[in-house]
Amino acid sequence: MKQIHANILNIEDTILGKITLTGKNIFGRKDYILVQGEQELCPSGYAATITNMVYIKGNRPIAGGVDLKEFHEGDVVTINKEGEITFLYEIESTSNAIFATGRCNHRCIMCPQPPVVHEEDMTPFNMKLISLFDKKTKEVGITGGEPTLIGDKLFDLIKQIKKYTPKAAISILSNGVKFADRDYAMKLALCNCYDLQIDIPIFSDVAELHNEIVGANTFYKTVQGLYNLALFGTKIGIRVVIHKKTYKRLPQLADYIYHNFPFVCNVAFMQMETIGMAEENIHDLWIDPYDYNKQLVEAIEILRSRGMQAAIYNAQLCVLPEQIRDTAVQSISEWKDIYLDTCEGCKLKEQCGGFFASNKKYHSSHIKKI
Amino acid sequence: MKYEYTILPFRFDHFSNEEYLLTNDVGEYIFLKNADFEKFVTHELDSKSDLFYDLASKQIATTDKVEDVVKMLATKFRTKKSILRDFTSLHMVVPTLRCNSSCIYCQVKRHEKSDHSADMTKKTAKNIVKCIFDGPSPYIKIEFQGGDPSIDFEMVKYIIEEAEWVNLFKKRDLSFVICTNLTLLTPDMVKYLKKHKCDISTSLDGPKDLHDTNRPLQDKKLDHHEIFEKNVKMVRDIWGDADCVSALMTTSKYSLGRYKEIIDEYIRLGFNNIFLRSLNPYGFASEYKEKVAYPIEEFIENFKEGLDYIIEINKKGTFFVEGFAALLLKRILTPFATGFVDLQSPAGVGIAGAIYDYDGSVYVADEGRMLARFKNYYFKLGNVNENTFQEMFNGKLLHEIIENSCTECLPGCADCVFQPYCGADPVRNYSVQGDVVGHRPTNEMCIKTKAIIHYLMEKLHEGDPETIKIFWSWIK
Repeated sequence: MKQIHANILNIEDTILGKITLTGKNIFGRKDYILVQGEQELCPSGYAATITNMVYIKGNRPIAGGVDLKEFHEGDVVTINKEGEITFLYEIESTSNAIFATGRCNHRCIMCPQPPVVHEEDMTPFNMKLISLFDKKTKEVGITGGEPTLIGDKLFDLIKQIKKYTPKAAISILSNGVKFADRDYAMKLALCNCYDLQIDIPIFSDVAELHNEIVGANTFYKTVQGLYNLALFGTKIGIRVVIHKKTYKRLPQLADYIYHNFPFVCNVAFMQMETIGMAEENIHDLWIDPYDYNKQLVEAIEILRSRGMQAAIYNAQLCVLPEQIRDTAVQSISEWKDIYLDTCEGCKLKEQCGGFFASNKKYHSSHIKKI
Repeated sequence: MKYEYTILPFRFDHFSNEEYLLTNDVGEYIFLKNADFEKFVTHELDSKSDLFYDLASKQIATTDKVEDVVKMLATKFRTKKSILRDFTSLHMVVPTLRCNSSCIYCQVKRHEKSDHSADMTKKTAKNIVKCIFDGPSPYIKIEFQGGDPSIDFEMVKYIIEEAEWVNLFKKRDLSFVICTNLTLLTPDMVKYLKKHKCDISTSLDGPKDLHDTNRPLQDKKLDHHEIFEKNVKMVRDIWGDADCVSALMTTSKYSLGRYKEIIDEYIRLGFNNIFLRSLNPYGFASEYKEKVAYPIEEFIENFKEGLDYIIEINKKGTFFVEGFAALLLKRILTPFATGFVDLQSPAGVGIAGAIYDYDGSVYVADEGRMLARFKNYYFKLGNVNENTFQEMFNGKLLHEIIENSCTECLPGCADCVFQPYCGADPVRNYSVQGDVVGHRPTNEMCIKTKAIIHYLMEKLHEGDPETIKIFWSWIK
């Protein structure tokens, strides 16, 4: 998430609000944060005021010394007592997501966001957050951690999203384990979301190898979860993160998915984000993406010939063989997407997904201008 | 060293001198070198080797809890057999036995054009439609057979309209197809068929001389092949779609050695698929055996040549499908169910397809109707004018036939490595070998099907990427 730092005054508890540049009627200001230029006076009624002035004063909550160009009408931010302004929702982004929980029942060796063990219930905050989303939002993600660990509150979030952003497609990232409980899968279906997809990782066609990667004995629970979700007609995607422990059997995995889960709507192969646990375990995990092209091409061809949709996430076009470049998706969120100096003047830069900011250190040695 | 793993049920056989083929109930397969096979079955295969992982991936062995793997196998097995859920969907109806052809391999006691003694009555037609809709299937396909049903087109129209009327209330997915030699179709008839979404299925045996030898018209003065070609064009022009008419070929003695010409003729006439079909040994065909029949081995050789030729044609850029290979490949390569009345397990007789004769008699399959001509009524379920749907389709006879037609437990099939891809044909077993179970080692259909599956497996094992791509294009 995008974060910027500000000087603050009169902010004790974290403030959540929706950005307005134009101002609101005095009776409808309490959920808004006013962004204003060089003005001494802070109007009353707003949750806070943000300004580009460095010297701030007064007795209302105010954050100063920031670049106003960062803010857009309709963004939703929090300001905490350390002066961090965090963008939880960006009106111009297509990858806005709710962070349902930081907890997880897996311990994936390449997790970019290692789970927390204890946390307070985030749902009331998230419910409020969703209510501030713009009504025309086209896409809302639910992620974590493992979002199903909040139990039935997940459905409250979904219903809230449906209520405040009726046109949004909802995409949930889950390890699928919880859906081994058929009732839980049914409850998701009963939310009756026309445009909801749940994306679930399967890392190997061999249970033992999958379990080794996720750090839990859950392969068959995830399988049962997939079956239950399919039973209720929920749209499912499968995600495969490619690293040293998964690349060898990608073709077999593709065939396995076709034979066991032919009902999934797409299979995404993802280049690893080298942050968090992935960075810690980098020696066990890192393989130059160029070096798994053979297996990746074969896997994609297997899925394509069988009429299944395949996609490659987080990859750079220059590293991919031409025959599968059309399956590459620009999938990296704007705020962490970067390009290297080598990329300057590349013909494909516009279509290319670029890099995770964290991959600056670890990336293919075959990056070149095309 | 012994390794801990559980071997799950599979079938196997020598595939070549060096290799075994293993298949399991859900159709997954793998080739193992002789030495690896020995190691595998004696628990000496390293359970962390890639080869073991391949076996585990196909659910032929596991190091996990067996219940977990069996659950997945069960789901896949249900999917493979899911056509059973719908019950009978193909309903063949014979509006008349009159015909203007005199095909050399005809199995039907055809009637002259003017002989109305084997025409269906409206009362019978109405009862047939009622019986069809008493069935539970959400899909209903009514196929008009004969004779040539276009001779009694008024009855075809009556049945179509009666079925459409009943379907206003029953709301099934209803479709029609008419099997005709095309010669008697007029533009008005075609327009009617188009309006009622009744596809046309016809017969084409090859180039002119062969087609006319196999399928002469009764009126010797008429040129069958020429009328056929003209009418195919007329049908397509009216329909505005080349796929509205499909063709079937039958191999007579005269067709052997001529598959390339036959295939070329199909392509010339704008068809994009062919079903290289051997002769049925029923009816007239067995009476005139020496005239039209041939040893099954000759058919197999011809089939292989034909298939190779079709693959070459595809490689050169023309999309053209061999239907039997496509069916078997779908069973070998995909997790999905494939209905094919003549080759499924349990057999499709009665539970996938049924035929209603002009007099209202119901048989489990077309060949059952042929047997009835020789006064053998074993496969007659009843008559729509006397019996209810329940009596016929849930009666003792059909139960008995089906119980004896599951390849999973038939002698010679139960342990056959190709079992998951094959099927039983109790009617043929009965008529050729005297009982519904049959005797596999001397069974021509078994010899043929095994040879063809083996040939396809060889191709898959060779793994020429272009051929594999072509195979997948046929399946989709």
